[in-house]
Amino acid sequence: MGAYIVRRLLQSIIVIIGVTLVSFLALQAGGDPTYLFVSERASAEEIESTRRALGFDRPLHEQYLSFVGDLARGDFGQSLSYRQPAMEIVLDALPATIELTLFSMILALLLAIPFGVLAAINRGTAWDGSITTMSMLGQSIPSFWMGIMMILFFGLYIRLFPISGNVPFLKPLIAGDFGTAFSNLPRTIYHLVLPGIAVGTYSLARNTRLVRSSLLEVLEPDYVRTARSKGIPELRVLVHHALRNAWLPVVTIVGLEFGFLLGGVVVVETVFSYPGIGRLLFAAINQRDIPLVQAGVILLASIFILLNLLVDLIYVRLDPRVKLTGGRG
Amino acid sequence: MTRRNSVARAIVAGCFGASLLSGCAEQSDDTIVVGLSADITTFEPGMISSRDNANIARHIFGSLFTLGPDGEHIPELAHTLEITDDGTGYVYTLNEGLTCHDGEALTAEDVAYGFNRIADPANRFTGNAPGFVYTSIGFQNAEVLDELRVQVNISQRNPIAFGLITELYVHCKDSYEQMSLDEAASNPIGSGPYRLASWTRGSEVVLEKVKEPGNFERIVWRIIPEASTRTAELIAGNADIITNVVPEQVEAINSSGRAEVQIVSGTRRMYVGFNLSEEHAAMPGGDAIQDPDVRRALQYAVDVPTICRQLLSVECERATGLVNTQNANPNLTPYPYDPETAERLLDEAGWPRGDDGTRFSIRMQAGQGRYVNDVNVVLAVVQYLEDVGLDIELELMEWASVYTPLLRERSTGPLFFLGTGGGLWSPIYDMTDIAQVGSGTNYTHWSDERWFERWPDLVNTEDPDEQRVIINEMLEIFYEDGPWLHMYFQPDFYGVSDRISWTARRDEHVEIFEASLR
Repeated sequence: MGAYIVRRLLQSIIVIIGVTLVSFLALQAGGDPTYLFVSERASAEEIESTRRALGFDRPLHEQYLSFVGDLARGDFGQSLSYRQPAMEIVLDALPATIELTLFSMILALLLAIPFGVLAAINRGTAWDGSITTMSMLGQSIPSFWMGIMMILFFGLYIRLFPISGNVPFLKPLIAGDFGTAFSNLPRTIYHLVLPGIAVGTYSLARNTRLVRSSLLEVLEPDYVRTARSKGIPELRVLVHHALRNAWLPVVTIVGLEFGFLLGGVVVVETVFSYPGIGRLLFAAINQRDIPLVQAGVILLASIFILLNLLVDLIYVRLDPRVKLTGGRG
Repeated sequence: MTRRNSVARAIVAGCFGASLLSGCAEQSDDTIVVGLSADITTFEPGMISSRDNANIARHIFGSLFTLGPDGEHIPELAHTLEITDDGTGYVYTLNEGLTCHDGEALTAEDVAYGFNRIADPANRFTGNAPGFVYTSIGFQNAEVLDELRVQVNISQRNPIAFGLITELYVHCKDSYEQMSLDEAASNPIGSGPYRLASWTRGSEVVLEKVKEPGNFERIVWRIIPEASTRTAELIAGNADIITNVVPEQVEAINSSGRAEVQIVSGTRRMYVGFNLSEEHAAMPGGDAIQDPDVRRALQYAVDVPTICRQLLSVECERATGLVNTQNANPNLTPYPYDPETAERLLDEAGWPRGDDGTRFSIRMQAGQGRYVNDVNVVLAVVQYLEDVGLDIELELMEWASVYTPLLRERSTGPLFFLGTGGGLWSPIYDMTDIAQVGSGTNYTHWSDERWFERWPDLVNTEDPDEQRVIINEMLEIFYEDGPWLHMYFQPDFYGVSDRISWTARRDEHVEIFEASLR
């Protein structure tokens, strides 16, 4: 397994370099970023001088190779707008997004499993129909719209939850300030409720449908029928025989979903003024702050790769039939 | 129990539960909360460029003189200014007893150090000060004359240098000498009434009062990018002032009973530009707009008041040129909406309607998402121009990455929609957009000799009356034959809580010094 992990990690370096190249070219495709860093009254000389100061006067390949060279030395460069180390800024925003992502995933999973099971074991009934309909609705409602509606109702109308902002838990925790972290925790959760629901609704809906369909598939095979015929209580059949086999597709989706959510919560972060990595990168892309975007992309790609690896390893634990076969695993 | 009572109880119950965690109660009387639409990126005086960023920095850093709400010059850290005979030396005398936030005395040495530090090419600063102010005034250096007197040297006489120098932030030598550029970006050591208490990137900036003026001990600047969220925070009582209210939410705020919207006519000049470059003259319709008669005809074609009422929800202040109203030529009146006159003038200019009703085809380009309701305004303009027989090929573009580069290369057009920032303190400041045919902001390539021949006279005239005569003459040329279809000064919308007394300024500056509780 060790060799497998090492090989996967080595492969990931190529993936990350590829990702940086694509994002670099994509950012350059929009034209010369210099114009975003000069006053609207800047003269041609001022624009040229700023271009030189930012290094955009060099050929593209030179800019990129210089970036990769710095990267190899662990230097992610300076953010052009913040004038601070790019990776430092990205890492500063990451804990807030992890909090939001984890909260919404936990919320989604905690509800998706019982809803999915309920729908599956009551297939064709009103329960099943209601849950399936709600799931389809959940997948159809745009998260930004849901966010605004929740702000209006829960934040403004009945004033039960805060409208925007966050209270950090992970950041002080990582800094070793446990007192602050745990005293913040109730307020952290309180601030996460609305954005967490807005982010998690889609996942909840999709996971509910996934649990339902996976469970329906494993409720029919011989080994379940055999278990039932042996007189094992239905709940035990469900939990020990059926659900365990239904986990595989759920684990895959959930694992990858965490990675998607990390980079994909930008809309909800904007609606709720939540200072996470999605909003940071969105602003950086608009501002063509290339080093900041690259640092964010590398970080998110790394997390995504690690999650993929983790999912593969969990697979082995859940399904003994799966073997890790080197790079093709 | 009535339904209204049920709702009220629900709100009270909600507030009670919520207050246990967050405090649903009213805000503290010594704190004011301002909701901004855009994030801020730095407190480095040499890098600050956006208006939101500058609005916060303005409370931390003092300036030698400042500009009042109507553009008047107000002494701040300095009390007098003398200009040398040749017009290239600005000698400021500082107030006595000034201090920096680090506790050190603020002297002429600090001012000179800060100004020269911003100009130092080794620092590679790209903010408003080095990128615009210094190049506009031809900044040479700042030198210490004595403990309280500092001289700013510029390359040549410049009638707007004084106003531009008000945009420079004074910062303190001892601290900045010890800090790296990284450290300086997030640790401002200024001389203003407030100091930075905390900055949570992407979330909020908290300032604490250190000296007068200021009626609040703390100013909390919250970054709330989404307009509807800012509005909700204002109505909920969690923000006292919010910027960039969208017109559609004005009614919701005004009817909330907790806040009101202040609408001010801003200094940003909105216009449709005619790109007169050779490259654009060769394009369809580009030849037609070379003729001043055609450009004048089109001034009558667009119903600007209706656009303002319907799309911006206000009666706009109309423009007669590129200078803000208080400095405009008083003899000029905005072009009325008169499509018949427009059609007649187009006929007379040699562009009659063809068999298909079209006079000529032309491309119009515009960015989207930059100005208030910009896309709808552009669509309305296109419709009005088509009504008098133009066939418009509209290109709406993403503002930052597509439109801005085209604009800076002066290649938008032949028609393009734009708003450029202006000022109240000097008509010449507004006019410098078109100081030279090749100016970076002469996006139209307009080259009328009558205008450009008068520039040297304008710059070298010290007599205000004589200057006024020249300005009026130039503005009349611009009004009649200029390269802009004059529209309006962009209205700015601020939401203000009922608990606060505060008046919005026209120049997009958000200053909290005079704000107070009602």
